[in-house]
Amino acid sequence: MFAYFVRRLLGLLPVLFGVSLLIFTIPRVIGSDPARIMLGERASPESYQRLRTELGLDTPYFLNLKEARTRGIAGLFDAQYPTFVAHAVQGDLGKSIFSRIPVRDSLAHFFPATIELTLVAMFFAVVFGVPLGIVAALNRGTLVDTGFMFLALAGVSFPVFWLGIIMIYLFAVFLGWLPPSGRISPTLIFHSTTGFYLLDAIVQGRWGVLWNLLRHLVMPGIALGTIPLAIIVRMTRSSMLEVLGQDYIRTARAKGVERRAVINKHALRNALLPVITVIGLSFGQLLSGAILTETVFAWPGIGRFVYDAISSRDYPIIQGGVLFIAIMFVLVNMLVDLSYAFIDPRIQYT
Amino acid sequence: MKRLAIVVAAALLALSGAAWAQTLVYGESGLPVSLDLPQDGNSLTVQYQIAEPLVGFQPGSSELRPLLATSWEANADATQWTFHLREGVTFHDGTPFNAEAVKFNFDRWNHRDNPYAFPDQKNFAAWTYIFAAFYGEEGYLLEKVEALDDTTVRFDLTSPVGFFPALVASSYFGIQSPAAVKAAGVDYGTPGVGAVGTGPFKFQEWVQGDHVTVVRNDAYWGDKAKVERIVFRGIESPATRLAELEAGTLDIAVNLSPDDLQAVESNSDLRRATAEANLSIGYIGFHQANKPFDDLRVRQAVAYAIDQKAIVDAFWSGLGTPAAEFIPPGLIGRAGYDIYPYDPEKAKQLLADAGFPNGFQTEFWYMPVSRPYFPSPKDIAEAVAGYLSEVGIQAELRTEDWGIYLTEYDEGKFPMFMLGWNADYADPNNFIYTFFSPTEIKNGFGWADANADEVVKLLGDARKASSETERVTYYEQADKIIYDQVPAMPVVYPTTLHATRTNIDGFLPNPLGVTSVQLNEVTKN
Amino acid sequence: MSTASATSRHEDHVEGRSLLQDAARRFRHHPTGILGLAIIVFFVAITILAPVLRPVDPLKINLRDRMLPPTWTMSQQELEQKQLHRWSFPFGTDVQGRDMLVRVLYGGRISLRVGLEAVAMAALVGTILGLIAGFFGGWIDTGIVWFVDILLAFPGILLAIAIVAALGQSLLNALIAISITYVPVYIRIVRSVTLSLRESEYVQAARALGSRSVRIILAHVLPNGLSPLMVQLTLSIGTAILDVAALGFLGLGARPPTPEWGAMISDGFGRFRIAPWLSIVPGIAIFFSVVGFNLLGDAIRDVLDPRLKR
Repeated sequence: MFAYFVRRLLGLLPVLFGVSLLIFTIPRVIGSDPARIMLGERASPESYQRLRTELGLDTPYFLNLKEARTRGIAGLFDAQYPTFVAHAVQGDLGKSIFSRIPVRDSLAHFFPATIELTLVAMFFAVVFGVPLGIVAALNRGTLVDTGFMFLALAGVSFPVFWLGIIMIYLFAVFLGWLPPSGRISPTLIFHSTTGFYLLDAIVQGRWGVLWNLLRHLVMPGIALGTIPLAIIVRMTRSSMLEVLGQDYIRTARAKGVERRAVINKHALRNALLPVITVIGLSFGQLLSGAILTETVFAWPGIGRFVYDAISSRDYPIIQGGVLFIAIMFVLVNMLVDLSYAFIDPRIQYT
Repeated sequence: MKRLAIVVAAALLALSGAAWAQTLVYGESGLPVSLDLPQDGNSLTVQYQIAEPLVGFQPGSSELRPLLATSWEANADATQWTFHLREGVTFHDGTPFNAEAVKFNFDRWNHRDNPYAFPDQKNFAAWTYIFAAFYGEEGYLLEKVEALDDTTVRFDLTSPVGFFPALVASSYFGIQSPAAVKAAGVDYGTPGVGAVGTGPFKFQEWVQGDHVTVVRNDAYWGDKAKVERIVFRGIESPATRLAELEAGTLDIAVNLSPDDLQAVESNSDLRRATAEANLSIGYIGFHQANKPFDDLRVRQAVAYAIDQKAIVDAFWSGLGTPAAEFIPPGLIGRAGYDIYPYDPEKAKQLLADAGFPNGFQTEFWYMPVSRPYFPSPKDIAEAVAGYLSEVGIQAELRTEDWGIYLTEYDEGKFPMFMLGWNADYADPNNFIYTFFSPTEIKNGFGWADANADEVVKLLGDARKASSETERVTYYEQADKIIYDQVPAMPVVYPTTLHATRTNIDGFLPNPLGVTSVQLNEVTKN
Repeated sequence: MSTASATSRHEDHVEGRSLLQDAARRFRHHPTGILGLAIIVFFVAITILAPVLRPVDPLKINLRDRMLPPTWTMSQQELEQKQLHRWSFPFGTDVQGRDMLVRVLYGGRISLRVGLEAVAMAALVGTILGLIAGFFGGWIDTGIVWFVDILLAFPGILLAIAIVAALGQSLLNALIAISITYVPVYIRIVRSVTLSLRESEYVQAARALGSRSVRIILAHVLPNGLSPLMVQLTLSIGTAILDVAALGFLGLGARPPTPEWGAMISDGFGRFRIAPWLSIVPGIAIFFSVVGFNLLGDAIRDVLDPRLKR
């Protein structure tokens, strides 16, 4: 098992190499010029050229053949991509070209917010999705089933950002029930040690803060959780139906075991296996959905951070942030993959 | 239900024990980028509370007033300016504010090789907006800064500038504590470090992506702040900022969309906070390297084809005035022209005379970002293109990322484009010279004929003129040529919409915007 | 893949014609599938017939009538003042005073077409690459799988945003970007079908008889992969329409003044307070068209998936 894990991890290396190459190349294909962005509306040609040199934008992208002649191998790799990779491997993703904040620090700062939002969205999806799916399956073909299935279908058919806008105006502006955006009321004095606000609020026993945090999480959590919710409802239902149709369930029923007992003891446990798979896979989709959700709700997470950087063409953040997201994405998917081994004893890894 | 929410909120506040009546929450379009060498509005607003320039502005006006300098005078030809500094002022870190501190700051900004300039990490482009260039580069203005004694500092200039105090008053130039800059080095101004000045508020914390907090400076030399803390929040969408203001989670929301004027005025909890007029211009430029815009008749045709008044009424909702000149109202040197009237027939006639009876195809580039001078560039561009199509000019609407946009407009790649300018200081030089300096007139507009040469000459003379009357005549002459030749079409003098909750008093935006407004007089009841 | 399953697919292929007929018959008894199809037909019809249904120029600007609410919600007095009648603008007007109804209709042309074309292009490219990878194997296969893994390492929308940012804002580039994010799934489907068939007895036999590779692929592999491809296709169109809208919302889609649903929502976003119809109307249009494709996709899966045959 461990050997397999290591092998899978090593197998990621070529993928990460390709990812880094892509991340490095795309902004340069754009032809956008960080020096120009830094200088603003009016800038003299001299200060522009000087800044380009200072930012290292005048060195070649991949290999520096000119330097190689005089300095050999060290000179050959005195180019933008090798420098980027060499630094990245050491955990140095550079600094934002505007704020000079190290990208690594920003990622460490924004990541917990995204994780928190993602977990809340997933919690919402599971807590509502699984029971709804079960109820639908048990009432197959009835109005309840049709209704739930239509709701689930509707859930995957909304543009997430649209749902977000409607919710902000309905619940925050017109009804005034919830705060329109953000993660915590800025007037609250609250210091987070881990970056996970919910956890810190509980540890510190700050129940008022916790309530405030939860109120901020409701709308983005629902907006982000809607699609996984819909998928989980559908998956639970179909998986449940499949199990209910199995011989051993029929046998149990025939032997006179009570319906409720059959469902609880036999059907549920087996039906939930594929559901867990779906939950795992949805994490990746949530990371994707978080970009739009965080933008609409001004959620200080990694998706909005990277999207803002794409808009403002902050190269180091784009490179570092997208690389980080890609690594997380790949790792989560791999872990989900591996976790099947624990859940489903039929699968064996050698 | 609303009442219940309020009761619950109040109960929760009691639980959390926050002193919230004393906290002012201020909503901007983003968090600061950096508190050192700030160049964008969001950073400048925060820094202005922490670090003060030598010269400030009267509340709600662009009239200068003493801040860290109590008085100033120039020599006869305005090439040497002496500032007398306020005594007994200390930085937030306890170190004294004095002439050496002023010299330290200006040297650090002016000299790229200063040990604290960090030119490969930080770029202070704003310096070049105001002082033309860094020390030693072509056209640089500031020769040297000398501390004559503890409270007197003298600036030597390379050419006469009669309005030098206005330059120093620009909100870019808040004086930072030399000790703090030296201690933090390149990290000065980042979230972990913050900034140290002499202002009415001290830096407290900066949570990335969330907020920046400043607290009252109890040792402030002037009027001490009325609120205990200010929390600055960055909320990108103006609509969401308004929503937050309506929900009461913001006390002040700046740079709202003009569309929302009615929403602000119809809500009894909100109050509009706008300056009399903003020193700002939005314009449509032509680059004459692109045919047929080298033909004056074509440029005139565009000006006649667009119903400027209808566009300003529609997209500024009464918060803008149609613009005819490149010097906004409130400044000297305006000749007082009327806008080109909306006359599509005349436009068609001019196009026919120019050899385009059926119009022509071109590209119209609109900005990818919102600025006070063009709050919704795409919508305005669509309306402009609509009017142009009525006279046969088919303008394809294009945009690009802001960095590319700024590069390519300057390279003359855009036949027609949108751009604008917000004042850094209240002087016509900051407008007309910004647009029509010798390099801009060539790069930005591709305008190179006898008229262009004349404009360049007049504006150069105006900069060096010793008397104001003399300057005014030069500006008026240049203004006339520009008006007649239409190298660009001024669209609007906008007034930017800001709003507060009604329990907020003393928030007075000035014609330069909100970046040079100290918030120590703001109260929250 | 075991040989057993390959054989069963082989048998499916042999009875291909009857399978399709069977599927069509079952589809006729699938009410939600028919509903989905009806919704799609309705949307396609009204967008194609837009110039007939509402002969108004979708680009005609009229700043005097900007941001009018749906006229049937206005009072008689307001209508007279504006010289309008009750049904002048059933969905109101937008920021330029353009008719929202006609913009939604024309917007459908863009959104539906781009959604369809992006998926079709992805399916085509994915199928070709999948066939190549599965059939030739070796370093070609390794390379293509590597490419798929790289693309799959990015959350879809992030990849699309980055690609449009790289290529520049235009409808075509949005189409290409979305298409690229959908390619991997088709490569995977087709590759696995090809792999399982490559070793199957009848392909081996065909090869032994001297059939050329291309012919084998076309004759055997494609029909077998058709069923999973069809299911994936219909289900992708719905999400592709949402992706087009998301890019439009972020200002990375069609250029103005072209009406596109996502861009229309974005126009209305900042003005929800004063003109909610600006974003509600295109949002509802997106919702129903995506529902249509999802209903149809579900139905196609039901009728094509042999596991649910019983």
